[in-house]
Amino acid sequence: MRLGARDLRFDIATDSPTIAVVGPSGSGKSTLLRVVAGVEARAQGTVSFAGEPWLEKTGVRVPPWSRPVGWVPQDSLLFPDRSVLDNLLFGAPRTVNSEGAVAEIAALLRIEQLFGRMPSRLSGGERQRVALGRALLARPKLLLLDEPFSALDRPLREEIRGIVADWIRSSRAASILVSHDEEDACFLAEETYTLAGGGLTLIDPRHAYRSQA
Amino acid sequence: MTLCVLLAAESAFGALPAQAVCQTRDSEDEVLLVLAAASLADVLPVVAESWERSGRRPTVRLSFGASSRLARQVERNPAVSVFVGADREWLFWLEDRGRVDGTSVARIAGNTLTAVVPSAAEAVPAGPSALLDLDRIALAGENVPGGRYARTALAAAGVWPEVSARVVSANSVRSALQWAARGEVALAVVYGTDAASHPDVVTAFVFPSDSHERIGYFAAPIRGTTPAARDFVDFLSSEEAQGILADAGFLPGDGRSSSYFRSREEASDPGVFAPSIWSAVRISVLVALLATLAATPVAVALGWLFARRSFRGKTILSTMVMSPLVVPPVITGFLLLSLFGANAPLGSLLTDLSLPVPFTLLGAVLAALVVGMPLYVFSVRNAFEAVDSRYEELAATLGLPPVRTFYRVSLPLALPGIAAGALLAFARALGEFGATVVLAGNVEGSTRTVALAVYTLLESPGENWRIWTLVTASVTVSLVALVAFEALSRRQRLRMEQVDRF
Repeated sequence: MRLGARDLRFDIATDSPTIAVVGPSGSGKSTLLRVVAGVEARAQGTVSFAGEPWLEKTGVRVPPWSRPVGWVPQDSLLFPDRSVLDNLLFGAPRTVNSEGAVAEIAALLRIEQLFGRMPSRLSGGERQRVALGRALLARPKLLLLDEPFSALDRPLREEIRGIVADWIRSSRAASILVSHDEEDACFLAEETYTLAGGGLTLIDPRHAYRSQA
Repeated sequence: MTLCVLLAAESAFGALPAQAVCQTRDSEDEVLLVLAAASLADVLPVVAESWERSGRRPTVRLSFGASSRLARQVERNPAVSVFVGADREWLFWLEDRGRVDGTSVARIAGNTLTAVVPSAAEAVPAGPSALLDLDRIALAGENVPGGRYARTALAAAGVWPEVSARVVSANSVRSALQWAARGEVALAVVYGTDAASHPDVVTAFVFPSDSHERIGYFAAPIRGTTPAARDFVDFLSSEEAQGILADAGFLPGDGRSSSYFRSREEASDPGVFAPSIWSAVRISVLVALLATLAATPVAVALGWLFARRSFRGKTILSTMVMSPLVVPPVITGFLLLSLFGANAPLGSLLTDLSLPVPFTLLGAVLAALVVGMPLYVFSVRNAFEAVDSRYEELAATLGLPPVRTFYRVSLPLALPGIAAGALLAFARALGEFGATVVLAGNVEGSTRTVALAVYTLLESPGENWRIWTLVTASVTVSLVALVAFEALSRRQRLRMEQVDRF
């Protein structure tokens, strides 16, 4: 994976390590994920995944529905007119339900009791877990996590973080985590970058974490 | 002395009594307000000019309309000095209400009853029996004198039962004449003087004078007004005025003495016809439902386009769609008639497909649709704008192409707002009047909606319970629709707010 300093350049390989992007809010971390997901209309720079160009200055622009990404946005964005189960199944391949994958993921994320509920009746933490489950059930090759644990309290947060790490390892998906929390970054990612002044800088996460701790 | 400014609204509300603002002035500013039958609109200004040129005072101000409507204005408006009606009945009616003294009424002119066809017509019918071959015939309304003479004459000719289903009722004889001149109807029954005055119609035949009541224009000073009113009525019978009337093709009058004879049996009951309430309610609901259904795909497409896309010509398109909101409905109706009339390119195409628009239920639906469209599109646009576009983005990252995203995400989320828009359009369609009366006419049993039925009832005296029944029905349905609209709008807002609350 290469990250240009000023000119955004993302070349992601399928075997890329999980990377984390940290930085203060407003530094453009969420926008970065939106560019990779393909939903940012004013995207500049280049993005490629597994050798396939997704975004190029020459005008190549692969639409989001053709990118195998699983985007977990910061505020979950559960479809408000659909139950938890319908949200989980929304992007999943048709076979997923019969395979029992929904029940499995739901059990891991501790949301199997919520299937019939509407999103308006969920807590912030429950929403984040449903949004995570929805992204994982779509079987993405690239997982884009935008502050996915921010609404979880500590014991649950560590547990879910572990489940996500296991999923990434077993599915061999690439993933990008955006977080203002360096502990999350340190736990999940092999490389951590800061986004400041429009460019990405590699930092030593372990050192950063230690110095903070 | 009194100066009166007449604010005669020539609009949907033309049936209501004209409002008069009166203030005291000296005699030089005095004005003689004369309300006269529409068929006198060309000749009376010449007579009035002659009155003034000969040094007579005060100045005459004229207002024309169907006698039935004018009589109701006379009843309520103290500013009117002289009334000239196109038959006796409406003078009887005013006499019964104490507004006219029977001994002062003068028959100032006569007329003939004539069938006219558009000058471009291929065949010219030779007599009433030929009317059975024509598909649409315009007459003045049931309670307008010209309309009543025509119905009597057609009944005398023995063709009324067959012809009545093809009749389109116009507001006045002049409106019927206009429809014939534009080629929207195959034939119109009008006065002989109207037939001669319009270049775009030709006379087919004249009804025999014994087939209907003798046509007469009856002038009367209104009780309690200035003495000059009586002078003006006398002037109308003078040699000078009679000369002008004769030049315009009117038959001579016969003064104050004769013709206005009223036998004891002749009660004043000019309101011979009243539209059916249930037919009007049924047509209104049907027209509003069809218009709302037909408008839905268009409104959803346009609302989404305006909310989600920017494109060249967006401002022009949205201005065009919104314009019926501010353009007077009568003008919208006229523009639609110009597009869909029998002789317009679009209209003749639809006529070839057996889908004629003017004077049909289709025309009423089209008028209601166009007038209700701005409200519908506006609601739908707001509903889509209220949907966070990130839901659509998220659906795209989950593999849904735009069309499926629209059906699975945008449309369901905007549904309460779209339903609210449909209700608003439905309510507006129920209340539609101006565009409908121009495009679809006022055809009993086919385009006569509640609004048009009330308009028709306003020109027939009595029958107030019918008016109030229709008014109550109309107001109730509209209020229910508005309450439901509010509920649905609130639901759309709540649906969106619940999500943002974190």
